[in-house]
Amino acid sequence: MTEALNVTALTRESQWKRRFLQPMLRQRSAMVGLAIIALYILAAVFAPWLATHDPTAQDLMASLQGPSAAHWLGTDSYGQDLYSRLLYGAQLALIIGFASVAIGLVVGVAIGLAAGLMGGRTEWVLMRIVDGLLAFPELILAMAFMAVLGLGTENVVYALALSFVGPFARMTRGDVLQVKNQPYIEAARLMGLTTAAIIWRHVLPNVVSPILVQAGMRVSIAILLESGLSFLGIGVVPPTPDWGLMIAEGRAFITMAPWISGVPGVALAILLVALNLLGDGLRDAFDPTTQKDA
Amino acid sequence: MSEQNHKDKLAAVLAAGINRRSFMKLMGSGAGLAAGSAIMGGSLVQNAIAAAPKRGGTIKLAWIDAVDTLDPHFTASLGSVKILNNIFNGLLKVAYDGKKVSFVPDLAEKWEMPDDKTHVFKLRQGVKFHNGDPCDAAAVKWSLERVKDPAVASPHAWKFETLAGIDIVDESTIRMRFSKPYAFLPVALTGSTGRAGTIVSKRAVEQHGKAFGRNPVGTGPFKFAGWRENESITLERNPDYFEPGLPYLDGVQILLIKEPTAAVAAMMSGQVDGMSLSPFQFVPQLKANRNLKVYGEVEGNYSFVAMNNRRAPFDDPMLRKAVAFAINRDSIVKQGYFGEAIPAYSPISPPMTGFYDKNIGKTGRGQFFDLKKAMAYRKQSKVQGEINPVYIVSQGFTGSGGSGTRNSQLLLPMLARIGIKPKIELLDRAVWTKRRNGGDFDMYDEAWIADLDPDETIYPEWHSGKPWNFVGYSNPVFDKLVSDAQDTLNQATRKKLYDKAEDVIMADAPLAMLAHMKVFKILHKRVQGFQYIPVDLLNLHSVWLS
Amino acid sequence: MFQAVSAKLAQTLLVLLIVSVASFTFLKLAPGDPVSIMLGSDYSKTSYEQLTHELGLDQPVIFQYGNWLADFVRGDWGTSYITNQNIFELAVLQALPVTLTLAGFSLLIALVIGIPTGVLAALYRNSWIDVLATTLAIGGNAFPSFYLGIILIWVFGVDLGWFPVLGFVAPWEDFWRGLWHLALPAITLGAWYVGLIARITRSSLLEVLGQPYILAAKARGEPAWRVVWVHGMRNVLMPLVTVIGLQLGGMLRGAVMTEVVFALPGLGMMVTTAVLNREYIVVQAGIMITGLLFVAVNLAVDQTYQFLDPRLRRR
Repeated sequence: MTEALNVTALTRESQWKRRFLQPMLRQRSAMVGLAIIALYILAAVFAPWLATHDPTAQDLMASLQGPSAAHWLGTDSYGQDLYSRLLYGAQLALIIGFASVAIGLVVGVAIGLAAGLMGGRTEWVLMRIVDGLLAFPELILAMAFMAVLGLGTENVVYALALSFVGPFARMTRGDVLQVKNQPYIEAARLMGLTTAAIIWRHVLPNVVSPILVQAGMRVSIAILLESGLSFLGIGVVPPTPDWGLMIAEGRAFITMAPWISGVPGVALAILLVALNLLGDGLRDAFDPTTQKDA
Repeated sequence: MSEQNHKDKLAAVLAAGINRRSFMKLMGSGAGLAAGSAIMGGSLVQNAIAAAPKRGGTIKLAWIDAVDTLDPHFTASLGSVKILNNIFNGLLKVAYDGKKVSFVPDLAEKWEMPDDKTHVFKLRQGVKFHNGDPCDAAAVKWSLERVKDPAVASPHAWKFETLAGIDIVDESTIRMRFSKPYAFLPVALTGSTGRAGTIVSKRAVEQHGKAFGRNPVGTGPFKFAGWRENESITLERNPDYFEPGLPYLDGVQILLIKEPTAAVAAMMSGQVDGMSLSPFQFVPQLKANRNLKVYGEVEGNYSFVAMNNRRAPFDDPMLRKAVAFAINRDSIVKQGYFGEAIPAYSPISPPMTGFYDKNIGKTGRGQFFDLKKAMAYRKQSKVQGEINPVYIVSQGFTGSGGSGTRNSQLLLPMLARIGIKPKIELLDRAVWTKRRNGGDFDMYDEAWIADLDPDETIYPEWHSGKPWNFVGYSNPVFDKLVSDAQDTLNQATRKKLYDKAEDVIMADAPLAMLAHMKVFKILHKRVQGFQYIPVDLLNLHSVWLS
Repeated sequence: MFQAVSAKLAQTLLVLLIVSVASFTFLKLAPGDPVSIMLGSDYSKTSYEQLTHELGLDQPVIFQYGNWLADFVRGDWGTSYITNQNIFELAVLQALPVTLTLAGFSLLIALVIGIPTGVLAALYRNSWIDVLATTLAIGGNAFPSFYLGIILIWVFGVDLGWFPVLGFVAPWEDFWRGLWHLALPAITLGAWYVGLIARITRSSLLEVLGQPYILAAKARGEPAWRVVWVHGMRNVLMPLVTVIGLQLGGMLRGAVMTEVVFALPGLGMMVTTAVLNREYIVVQAGIMITGLLFVAVNLAVDQTYQFLDPRLRRR
């Protein structure tokens, strides 16, 4: 008996390796993307040590200056050091990006699973709600939600998460439906496996890859949306170092100090490119035949 | 620009001119016509000296301040007032000769005061509304009474609180009777900032009802031609305008822009002929651009930090005074307004000729930066140790230097020095307004703008129980001083009363003064004939395109 | 087919109903109200109460929604509290055409730039052209539209002076001037799509170019361009159409930003202003229209599928 279990455990491990790690490693551009993201994550995590100044320390005498020895990437209109703000901004962007996608994913997948597995009226009701969520333009949904919750970082995360529930739910349900009718599920049920076990061992693995791809794309959208909200003045609270806020502030000084918008804008662009590369790579690795972009 | 330059420049600007006291005396003795036409004639002469105006053309203006409604009796935004002053007239209008502000007859030809509670206006003959109706005594009476009518519920009704009645003396003469002498009346009766005195067409109001604000009909040089929401407002020339020869332009296209930098971009590339306002930080660049003319001086306004007097921690005057003296106004002027402002010691501002003391800095009056004093007051405060008041801010749709959240951010390090670390709460405009109105805040910053008389700049904002007194300041000594100042026409008496009132309120410090700001109009050099008036007006009466 | 469409329509209406309830609830739950905004600083308790009563905002929330729904369905979309303008006029006659024009033009630009880019990348696969094209494609997706818009305004509008920087001129009133004014905003909005379209084109084309029937066409002596554009592109159309349809949400999001930065009076601007002013009836109108647009596009996409791929046509 023990032997059989061991064998099962081994094959499962190599199964994961075979199905996920190896295809990914083969995609070069995805690896580049991953490397860049890793760099950003490192910068974000070690921001307190890498930063040269306190990101909200004002030095009005030194404001609106370009890159120099004292301020590696220049200063904004309050004299705050852009390099330090960039690093802390990376922290915020990544946290908001990943947190909102994570929450949206968990809730969305749960709804999708429930809908797909339970079927019938529950499914119908849940999917109509999901349709409703999907019909809402994301930015407006986030704005309306934040109007209710109030502004600030935490609420931005919740508002964005809400707009991600829909896509995840719909996708999960579709995949669940596909898998549900497979003979091996029927077999598993006949064998007496509990629903939870079926979900965990058979449904989820098939659903994970498209979800990961979707998640990758959503992170870049989350970061874009978050900076958009801050840009409109209804996102995070100043003087929080946030790329969207920095771009918004820099816009008013674009002719005399273009680096105020330029630095966070370029940083944001590179991160988004990296996320896209990774997302593409993931998609090509797992679903080479379909082009699911929803 | 250094502060020294500012003070010198201001001193030069406010140098001798007819002061308001003698003007008022002239008015009282029935020589209004002479004084009025002297000033009127002056501006016409000025026009003739310049190159001969060309007729025709449509001017394109980028409007970055919000326009809420074009019904003058309901508008609360200066973006609207600037437009309104081209569509309507008041009994009086604001004039500026480069040195001082005065109130001259507009729709009225003559202004007499048989006693200090009665004002008789003889109207110009032959003035017609844009819809053809005559603007006679009956029309004017109707318009003035509309403002006061409780059924109409105009937010400007308070400006006619002491109006006892309006009589029609003859077809072109009306008499306004007040229960008390009313010093603020000249401002109230202007067609622009006063708004209460803007004369609107009875027939149009009755025809459109609530929609009059989008179909305004007045007597001004331009007729309303159309309003495309969030896009543009168009005006066209009124061929029957009563000032001979005016206006020169065929039409006005007002582009409603939410994004100030886009407007600046359009201005710098010559794609629009003018901007209604300018963010402070672009002014040096705009001034350096040889194709543009920048008009702007310190106007009747003041920005301030308000503190909630009704609850802790700012129910303690010592703490408030600490805040008032901890603020480095030079820094705010330089960083918040990019040098385009002057520090404010007290609410009364430069255009209030006869009331503003340009040397106030040397008198020790008012509030100013003195860290030692601030620390001393802080030590005497009820609450010691770090205080975290709630500071509500709003970015709104656009952020431009000098407003939005900028002041709050600049104040943070200054307040930190006296042990106050505000918790900044970013709200969208709707919530910010509601919380301010409802007293749910500890601090916020704001500005009262386009004021011409001390009365409107401190009475409704700081008198107990008045609707704009959002901080809940209440001091009966102050109340009496400003009420008395309203009821007399004697300039010297009023000045004494306002000085005392200012001393009281600055000592109580329900607010901490920040700055008096310059307000800019940017025009392309092809726009000629523009007469700048330091009360945020963009009058197109005498403007022409070369 | 008729049954399918009408069933779908009924479903859509239900979804829109849910959406309207949701957006209504949000705005009612949100602190702040249009009356405070309208009164602004000229605020007094009596005028506040009076105006609230006049606008019917003191009624129970359910009544307000019910009234709105009843009116809306009958075609009376109400009047804006703040501007007193008829909302139907505002939303459908003024704002909607602007957004549609912007979106249409953006899509056109994205297709015109994206498809050839994708084709080139596929034909010269793994060469420097491919890398360049792919970089361009990815770059388009990287910049937030508000940032890109600002850069375009300052570089192309002010410094170079090639394009106007603000204002909307309706192409149906003045075609070339209209397009000229839309150029910068359309590029800003279209940039997002360029990347997507290029990548889809490239991968679909690559997929197909190795197929036997392509080789057969080449063997027949068909010119290269025909091989690519006629035979190859057929395979690209379906995924392309799918992507365009599905990305509509993204376009609406980008449209809000683009409209704000370039001062275009479209739906995005209208709804955003209304949310900030707590004018729920304008928001409702905007969301209804957006929702309908969404569904219309999805339906159109479905129908186009059937047209493009005869295998999907139901007998």
